[in-house]
Amino acid sequence: MLRVEEISKRFKKNGRTVLDHLDLSLEKGEFCAVMGGSGSGKSTLLAVVAGFLKPDEGHVFLDGKDLYVLSDKELSSVHRSRIGYVPQSNILLKNYTVMENIVSPYTDGEKEQVLKEKAAVILSEMGIADLADRFPYELSGGEQKRVCLIRALLMDPEILIADEPTTGLDAVTGDIILRFLDTYAKSGKIILAATHDEHSKALATRVLTL
Amino acid sequence: MSNRKTRYLLKNIRRQRFYNLCLLLTILILSSILFAASVISQSLNQGVRNMERRLGADIMFVPKGSKENAENMLLEGSRSSFYFDDSIFEKISGIDGISEITSQCFLKSLSADCCSSEVQIVFFDPETDFVVGPWIETEYSKKLSQDQVIVGSSITIENGVIRLFGKEYPVVSQMAKTGTALDSSVYFSSSAKSDVLLHAEEKGSFLTEEQKKGEILSSVFVNVSSDVKLEKVIETAHQTVGDIFDVVYPKQLNTSLAGSLSNITGIVRILSISLTVLLFLILLLISSLIMNQRKQEVALFRILGKTKRKLALALISEVGAVSLAGAVSGCLLSALIVIPFGTFIGRSFSMPYLGPGTLKTLLLVGVISSSAVIISFLTSVFFILKVTNIQPYLALRREE
Repeated sequence: MLRVEEISKRFKKNGRTVLDHLDLSLEKGEFCAVMGGSGSGKSTLLAVVAGFLKPDEGHVFLDGKDLYVLSDKELSSVHRSRIGYVPQSNILLKNYTVMENIVSPYTDGEKEQVLKEKAAVILSEMGIADLADRFPYELSGGEQKRVCLIRALLMDPEILIADEPTTGLDAVTGDIILRFLDTYAKSGKIILAATHDEHSKALATRVLTL
Repeated sequence: MSNRKTRYLLKNIRRQRFYNLCLLLTILILSSILFAASVISQSLNQGVRNMERRLGADIMFVPKGSKENAENMLLEGSRSSFYFDDSIFEKISGIDGISEITSQCFLKSLSADCCSSEVQIVFFDPETDFVVGPWIETEYSKKLSQDQVIVGSSITIENGVIRLFGKEYPVVSQMAKTGTALDSSVYFSSSAKSDVLLHAEEKGSFLTEEQKKGEILSSVFVNVSSDVKLEKVIETAHQTVGDIFDVVYPKQLNTSLAGSLSNITGIVRILSISLTVLLFLILLLISSLIMNQRKQEVALFRILGKTKRKLALALISEVGAVSLAGAVSGCLLSALIVIPFGTFIGRSFSMPYLGPGTLKTLLLVGVISSSAVIISFLTSVFFILKVTNIQPYLALRREE
């Protein structure tokens, strides 16, 4: 379903090659943990696979279609409904409430209520239902991370790409997130997560070390 | 746009309330300046053009010492009365080189107890008058009988009549506003002069013995043939009637007015352009700050699947909505000041002033609001395109 062929990525600034002719293929139900030290290229790989960062060489195919030849509209459609992304930092918009942070990227005012109801269900599953009307500065790091994850999952993407989803979190919160990811993968989705976490490694169906 | 989309748009505007308030205020100031400058320039222009059309005499002979009063009366509409013995008309009309000649007599009603209101009364000869006659003919082309009057636009009429010196005179026509002294005058045919003066004498004791006789006039208007010099006619008039008159040059007054108008509108234009340029730069700064502030939001929305086009349209809609609100408010605020105080503005420039009508005002609001929105669009479109074309992933990494 997701196929990465011979991708290479060099950074012009320092000339360093972080990905060198890498191949990867993932099918439904797989949870792939990408491991490696700092600067090994984990985040870069995730960005390239997600379609955010064009590789210098190689291709990323989703159902046989190269992500990097798609139009802006087509690629946006992929990002909207097929690939969910959780950034490394808890990037939330400070003047949006938790609910607005989750729902606003996917709506222009239309179908807002349907998405809000869906978000409320996931917020409840994540144990933060009572935070829907709070602003990001009122949340802990763990709560913020869960909001970012819910935002990425709202449209039921077939592929969830998470950049260090448990880094900096306490054990309990990390565990909640990992269990959620595991359940999600088992429901027939693909998880690609960069991590240093041994727990993630244990849950992963595949480990890719860079 | 659906209600939901409108609510969403307003919510987004409220989220950036500080910057949007700055944008709104800047556009409000810009449009109010543009509106005021346009209304003042156009009103002065229209007033002077009306004056030019209706004061088309080469020479206006007035009694010696009355020049300033006559000029003030023509330009500012101040009420005045000064008189010659009416025999001067015959003497001047015999001078060679005169192509057109007519006379007028002015009488000011003095006290409120005798008249509906204080007005300038003008007796004119409908047969020969080329000064106000053609203007009056545009609204009333029939013969004006002895007890009928035509009034300027500023004159108050009650039940179709005007009461002057204890007598009611039917008003057969009220002229359209000109923004000049003509608006505050009542026009009688010169054949009514003796009758009106008689009533005036009955009601007040302000008439001199000479005036009571009715054999008076206030000014003689003359147009001179193109091959004759004005100075020559004036010199001959001096020789014929003696040193009993001053000369006012209505056309030259117009030329001088046109010069003043050109100066005033020039200054208004320069000030407007300078302020527009300054506000344009401020708008550029505000747009740059707004879009910089929203970089993270745009990058995040791009990563989560919003297209560049959709985001650009959303941002343009927000800027457009705020700008439109600011522009319309600015025009209305400016209209509340400039339109009611139009007469005062005209007087402060010592120039005729004809404010725009409702339709023209609405048209101006439309044109200036559109211009302000376009200016706002031009100052923001570059930053909107720049922010929606960022590499979202790299932009988010930089924000981390």
